Amino acid sequence: MTVMGTNYQEMKNRASEKAGMLQEKPYVMVGTATCGRAAGALKILDTFKEQVQKHQVETEVIEVGCLGHCYAEPMVIVYKPGFPALCYGNVDEGIASRLVSDFLVGDDPCFEFAMAALEPNDFFPTFADYPRGVYEQKIVLEACGLIDPEEIDHYIAREGYSALVKTLATEPGVVVDEIRNSKLRGRGGAGFPTGRKWGICHDAKADVKYVICNADEGDPGAFMDRALLESNPHQLIEGLIIAGYAVGASQGYIYVRAEYPLAIERLRTALQQARDNGLLGDDILGSGFSFDIRIFKGSGAFVCGEETALIASIEGKPGIPSHRPPFPAVSGLRGKPTLIDNVKTLSYVPHIMRNGADWFKGIGTPESPGTAVFALAGKVVGTGLVEVPMGTSLRTLIYDVGNGIKDDKGFKAVQIGGPSGGCLPESALDLTIDFDSLQHAGAMMGSGGLVVLDEDDCMVEIARFFLEFTQNESCGKCTFCRLGTKQMLEILTDITKGQGKPEDLDLLWELAEDIKAGSLCGLGKTAPNPVLSTLRFFRDEYEVHIHEGRCPARKCKDLITYRIVAQKCSKLCDACIASCPVEAVFTRPDMLKEIDLEKCVKCDNCLVTCLPLYDAVEKVSPPVTVAVEGGSASE
Amino acid sequence: MELMEGELEQIQSAVGEVLEKFDADREQLLPILQAVQGRLGYLPREAMKMVAAAVEIPEVDVYSVGTFYNQFRLSPPGKNQIKVCMGTACHMTGGNIIMDSFERRLEIEEGETTKDREFSLERVACVGCCALAPVVLVNEEVEAKVRPTRVDGILLGLGKELPKKEARPEDKAQDSAVPRDVSTQEAGDAR
Amino acid sequence: MSNNNGNNNGNKDSNNTGSNIGGKGKMVTITIDDKKYEVPEGTRLLWAALENGVYIPHLCGIEEEEKPSAGCRLCFVEIEGFLNPTTSCTQPVKEGMIVRTRSKRIDRMVKNAFELLLSNHRLNCGKCAANGSCELQKIAKERGLKLRVSRMRKLDIEAPVDDSPENFSYDPAKCVLCGRCVWVDHNVAKVGAIGLVRRGMGRKVAAFGETTLAESNCTQCGECVQACPVGALAMKK
Ligand SMILES: Cc1cc2nc3c(=O)[nH]c(=O)nc-3n(C[C@H](O)[C@H](O)[C@H](O)COP(=O)(O)O)c2cc1C
Ligand code: SF4
Ligand code: SF4
Ligand code: SF4
Ligand code: SF4
Ligand code: FES
Ligand code: FES
Ligand code: FES
Repeated sequence: MTVMGTNYQEMKNRASEKAGMLQEKPYVMVGTATCGRAAGALKILDTFKEQVQKHQVETEVIEVGCLGHCYAEPMVIVYKPGFPALCYGNVDEGIASRLVSDFLVGDDPCFEFAMAALEPNDFFPTFADYPRGVYEQKIVLEACGLIDPEEIDHYIAREGYSALVKTLATEPGVVVDEIRNSKLRGRGGAGFPTGRKWGICHDAKADVKYVICNADEGDPGAFMDRALLESNPHQLIEGLIIAGYAVGASQGYIYVRAEYPLAIERLRTALQQARDNGLLGDDILGSGFSFDIRIFKGSGAFVCGEETALIASIEGKPGIPSHRPPFPAVSGLRGKPTLIDNVKTLSYVPHIMRNGADWFKGIGTPESPGTAVFALAGKVVGTGLVEVPMGTSLRTLIYDVGNGIKDDKGFKAVQIGGPSGGCLPESALDLTIDFDSLQHAGAMMGSGGLVVLDEDDCMVEIARFFLEFTQNESCGKCTFCRLGTKQMLEILTDITKGQGKPEDLDLLWELAEDIKAGSLCGLGKTAPNPVLSTLRFFRDEYEVHIHEGRCPARKCKDLITYRIVAQKCSKLCDACIASCPVEAVFTRPDMLKEIDLEKCVKCDNCLVTCLPLYDAVEKVSPPVTVAVEGGSASE
Repeated sequence: MELMEGELEQIQSAVGEVLEKFDADREQLLPILQAVQGRLGYLPREAMKMVAAAVEIPEVDVYSVGTFYNQFRLSPPGKNQIKVCMGTACHMTGGNIIMDSFERRLEIEEGETTKDREFSLERVACVGCCALAPVVLVNEEVEAKVRPTRVDGILLGLGKELPKKEARPEDKAQDSAVPRDVSTQEAGDAR
Repeated sequence: MSNNNGNNNGNKDSNNTGSNIGGKGKMVTITIDDKKYEVPEGTRLLWAALENGVYIPHLCGIEEEEKPSAGCRLCFVEIEGFLNPTTSCTQPVKEGMIVRTRSKRIDRMVKNAFELLLSNHRLNCGKCAANGSCELQKIAKERGLKLRVSRMRKLDIEAPVDDSPENFSYDPAKCVLCGRCVWVDHNVAKVGAIGLVRRGMGRKVAAFGETTLAESNCTQCGECVQACPVGALAMKK
């Protein structure tokens, strides 16, 4: 065995032994990634620690990352020898206490709170027994939520870093070939063939080269990179080291969004552990290859996800993109060849090196092999992170994996790819997802944000929202993006206010086309996509806003008024009156409630406050302009 | 902005300490500015000047960087920082209405700080808890599923005195024609 | 999101942005609008064209700068074999290159980019110090465009004029953000008094802290005024 092999084997033995020991005693895993914390996971963690202490049960309480079932946060896994490990969702302090007293102390696994078991057994269904589990296939998310991200041995026990060992015994060019063969495509948005990019960087002649992991994740509705960093940082680190070795770099960077403090903290810990184990730094595992990784904290600018802007930012300048070529793989950071890959892309790498390119090509579609990771959000029941093979249909993704539309509302559209992507209508539901099919349909894989819209969502307003975002985030360097998106935003805003003109739609389309063709960087080039796709599939909604001054979804504030339906109002409750911040709701002499339209600021308070039993407050569009009878005027 | 007494010395010593920890290198500009803001809560002009001198670049180049990135502030933040998530999921579930409510209550616009420096109001893009939308970060703590009616509760919890419904003389005086008396009384009773 | 099917048809030459300086003296033949020209290899197309009397609209190009900012997006041309219109200020010439400075697509893009700039411009040529020498006027004349905002919304700009310097003044509402002034201030005057600050629609030329120029470290050398293609930085009468 090589030096590397022996060094690694020692580590592996240690890790396996620990993993074996873990199975001998009860343990509790609490998902404390950001979304879990938002739902109160830290309190649950404390409760478990207290209760375990109080009941004197010898139990390890471990913090883990994210299982992807956001809708059920906080989530915990409880294991006790003799039982399958069980996963519980929506855990509160009461449930946490019961799990300790009834399950860990007693022998009642509290099935009433359980979601699923982690392995097949005779008592309880596993995740694989649900539709979501049937369609999901996890590669990069596999260990997320099941291992302690701050404990390198958890990763090593699952074959972690074995791909690195294998790689270090292979010629760099062969490693590049393996990635090329696997047909892996970049998960940062465009789906560029990763192997080709590695090849260009590998072939570039230079004394120094760099590899950068792009963890800027600026899409305002996506969080899978964050979840990966928080849940399994070592997977990314291993991928980045392999990339560095393959292209001949000695220094790596991870460019992380500043808004992700927990991810940064966990990465720091992980990097240190990798160094302590000789997996990072000088002469890795005795192979002679030296490589280190630094974290670079972004400062909050979406455009810094663009490669040249990201580099400018590391160089201490404003994140303003520059013309390509030269491409970073040839001349990037400090003018040196620089490979930039997304978090997910790099997270696939260890799996491919371990299992081979053919294994990877066996998953997904021929031109887009592997899996796709999506952040499901919006009006879908099963919000969270999902990983499905490429080629899964949108319908399966939304209805089977995501469990359908919330509140039994009607599906209207699905927005894929965030601010660079587009909105697809119901007729596209049977589209199978891969890089090319989405691009064809007018959306794009983008970052993997997938937002489901229902009948209550206004397509003009959604287009306006994304455009406002990109307009705000434009670096301002080039004319089309800075001023073109501003013009488009002005037009869209006018339309949502009922002030659109019939000729606006043509101008909008023309501007969109020119901005796409004329902008300097990807931000501007893709910014019009949400508008183009909604214009294409939902033109009628634009027209109704313009010609009838009406918002069919009753979303656009200037095109609605609030009204209390006399027949529905209970007369006896005052909930709406108390809820109104501007005292616009009042009681008429006949005890019915009414809204003073001149005062109403359309805050929605009365509508959400009115009990579902009465459901007496409603929105109407087009707006009522004169005060209705019995209003302030008649008093 | 005028500095208060003693503030200049405080800035100078904080920046001095930060600068000791970093190489005086243009490439360290972002980390340096992040560290300065970490200490002071914002980037005072004096601090940017000191940084420019240390890394030997024109002051205006530091200013370009300081004004480019969302994260940097040029004025001191409020004691309580309220950040309303305006990411996709939060927007769709009414984030803008939440923002409106805060603006109305605090009488400032997004991006501003109240005169008494008690509150500042900002927008953030997705904080990664979309399933709990709409989300507000109150001094970095996540408030999940915020309804517009929760806004007053959050502010009360932070010690903000809200106008009592009865105690709004200017309102009353202005439109005495409206049957306000009935409703305000009832609102009062209902509590 | 990277634009891989973008403006160029090969990354083979991508390490060569084509600096004009230190050319090896070799000449290549290119065709612009059906006429052949001999130009030094590696020169960027915009300068090669201008040198030979072919006008291509441009605001931000700086011949001496190796890394063109390519921000104004006015210098588009069509190059045979390229899928999309290309900015001529970034494109090095190559032997046999066939270029069109006009096409339906180019004309529309230039027209719209031009109107976009005007929509954000305090238009009052009659009273402007640059009247007659303004590059916007020149583009309008060359391309038959109107110095008027017709289809787009006029964006209001309130920024006050800074007339603190002794001999010149700066009107941010006339600035087209070409960045030339900042470049000469940093590279010719070597002062570092002004920069491009803020972002997006807020982007502007300003001194540290957005003070007036007189309050800044500006030496009032006037280099930037010479560089300004429009009437934003202008000598006082
Ligand atoms: C405006 C803009 C924002 C981007 N944001 C990101 C991002 O947040 N994360 C990311 O990985 N790639 C982002 N990209 C794509 C990157 O520029 C780049 O293509 C990607 O990191 C390459 O990695 P890949 O080949 O692994 O996809 C962005 C591109 C643009 C134009
Ligand atoms: S397209 Fe937009 S973000 Fe990109 S360089 Fe141009 S102005 Fe900047
Ligand atoms: S700068 Fe040129 S276009 Fe602008 S107002 Fe002056 S003369 Fe007219
Ligand atoms: S006049 Fe002032 S701003 Fe202009 S180049 Fe000279 S020093 Fe710089
Ligand atoms: S002031 Fe003149 S030279 Fe400077 S950026 Fe504006 S238009 Fe260009
Ligand atoms: S379950 Fe972790 S990101 Fe939602
Ligand atoms: S959109 Fe608000 S948390 Fe994601
Ligand atoms: S001169 Fe080419 S983009 Fe401005």
